[in-house]
Amino acid sequence: MNVFNRQVDNIGLWFVLLVIAVTLIFLIAPIIVSILMSFDARSYLGRFPPTEFSFHWYERFFSDTYYLNGLKTSLIIAVIAAAVSTFAGVSAAIVIDRYDFPGKQAIETVFLSPLVIPAVVVGFALLLFFALIGVFQGYPRLLAGHIIITFPYTVRTTLAGLTGIRRNLTEAAMTLGANEWQAFWDVTFPLARTGMIAGAVFAFAFSMDDVAVSLFLTSPETYTLPVAMVSMMRTNFDLTIAAASVILMLFTIVLIVVLDWIIGLERVIGGGVYRS
Amino acid sequence: MAESTGHNSKLMAVVELKNVTKRFGAFTAVDDVTFSLEKGDILSLLGPSGCGKTTTLRMIAGFEDPSHGDVLISGESMLGKRPYERNVGLLFQDYALFPHMSVQQNIAYGLRRRKFDRGALDDRVGEMLELVKLEGFADRRPGQLSGGQQQRVALARALATSPEVVLLDEPLSALDAKLRQELRIELKQILSAVDATTIIVTHDQEEAMSLGDTLVVMNEGKIVQEGSPTDIYKNPTSRFVAEFIGRSNWFSGKLGKDVGDGLVEFSIGKDISFLILRPDQDAGTYDVCIRPERIRTEDSQDLQQSSEFFNQLQGVVRDVAHLGADVHTLVELPDGERLTVSQQFTGQSLRQYGERIGLAFRPSDCIVISSGT
Repeated sequence: MNVFNRQVDNIGLWFVLLVIAVTLIFLIAPIIVSILMSFDARSYLGRFPPTEFSFHWYERFFSDTYYLNGLKTSLIIAVIAAAVSTFAGVSAAIVIDRYDFPGKQAIETVFLSPLVIPAVVVGFALLLFFALIGVFQGYPRLLAGHIIITFPYTVRTTLAGLTGIRRNLTEAAMTLGANEWQAFWDVTFPLARTGMIAGAVFAFAFSMDDVAVSLFLTSPETYTLPVAMVSMMRTNFDLTIAAASVILMLFTIVLIVVLDWIIGLERVIGGGVYRS
Repeated sequence: MAESTGHNSKLMAVVELKNVTKRFGAFTAVDDVTFSLEKGDILSLLGPSGCGKTTTLRMIAGFEDPSHGDVLISGESMLGKRPYERNVGLLFQDYALFPHMSVQQNIAYGLRRRKFDRGALDDRVGEMLELVKLEGFADRRPGQLSGGQQQRVALARALATSPEVVLLDEPLSALDAKLRQELRIELKQILSAVDATTIIVTHDQEEAMSLGDTLVVMNEGKIVQEGSPTDIYKNPTSRFVAEFIGRSNWFSGKLGKDVGDGLVEFSIGKDISFLILRPDQDAGTYDVCIRPERIRTEDSQDLQQSSEFFNQLQGVVRDVAHLGADVHTLVELPDGERLTVSQQFTGQSLRQYGERIGLAFRPSDCIVISSGT
């Protein structure tokens, strides 16, 4: 009986390991393929693997104003959207964490709803809304869309950071002579900072990455890099798109590496929850 | 002159609660509580959870405002004053040390916020570290300290600004039994070294009795008894207090015939009765409490030779538990009622299960409480 149980255990373990391995392959293999292909020296879309390597797809990317314009817009939108949504998300999270008021639960749900509502729906709804109020410029529309889809992440991660902080730390600061404002800056903020930064990173990454919402909100002059990639894929499919993908990835990777260096990656990814 | 001002300040209450009531909606958490402390007093606020003691503490600290009544510190009303507008030191149950600050920064925090002179700040922190015997720990983070050390840092932080009142919230409950003993003594020494006026809030009677000069027992928002620990232990005025403080054996019964010398018979069953001190008023039925350590056990046959002064009952041993310094013996009386006898272990041989033994106790050790209180 015992031996049988052990065999069941072993089979179970092997099965789990297999699932993990398959998942990893599916996650990583396509990325590796596109990275390798972006360095392909051939001037056409050839078979994998490339036989020779060169930077010519990258040269092409950086000489193509269509892509460069998209990259510029993406960066501007991502930075502003991350900043605004971090500020809004942090404020919202503090109110939700600190105060009890009627309808709190409902508000929390509404704040997190962009996570559940399909991005396509958000994009389409915003397009309709902006058309109705007469806003047709790309920047305000894209910004609004990106703030909406990144906001839930900044609320969530800040809340995760705040809930780890016991209320009595603030109270302790107050008995020691700090008013509410000082107690927040001396105690709550430093302890919840990781959660807030994690939210900002997520917001930036999601904004850089978004296609579904942006597709509806771009104008002919203002479009993001992923949108540019989608439209190039339809009209003019070559490996410049692979180079663009790698560049897109690079921004997020650099950001994460820098953060890891500053505050430690596990803490950021691990929800930013402070532990005493 | 200096002497007379000293005398005057001794007379003035440092903390005074006047008919303080706190309601949360329809629920009355604290109901008409009045007490006061003079400089250097240590008062224990004792009661079960939900009795209103924590709310009382929060009103003194300034986290809650009374619905009715007044809280005075050094004669000044604290109504409407925020916590940072009063000088109250609070030691939290879980210490609430700032995890991102060093021990030094934790202790200095109150001094900074209360605009202490920069130059004197380091000296003051050093002084506090010395007081709690943590010199050399200044640069550690709270997470690197043991529970006992964390508590001492929290205490140093609370005392650093020389608060007019120090509030301790269950100060020893987070520590294990051995450490409690040590820290209790240390805590008492530290508090008396700085002559702190202290209020201890606790549900633990040992903590309350050992630390406090005065005990205030609360239940359901009200003060049920106030006095010295010994007085309350010896003369509880209600069944609640007697049960809450110390262990107790209870008998319900009626008064019998008066035998003179202020003694009266108390019958608890058909054939079982013993003598108690005659209560002041006749309330019909009474509950009598006998502390387990006030009962002596005798070999059954010796009972007749015992002094007339003792009440005597017969019983059968139903359980013996040796708890180290104490031995608890559970004895069943002929009518099925059970009581516990607690004795110091001095090397005697323990009673056996089923052994018939005699129990002896003084009428003056029977605490008489009229039923229903």
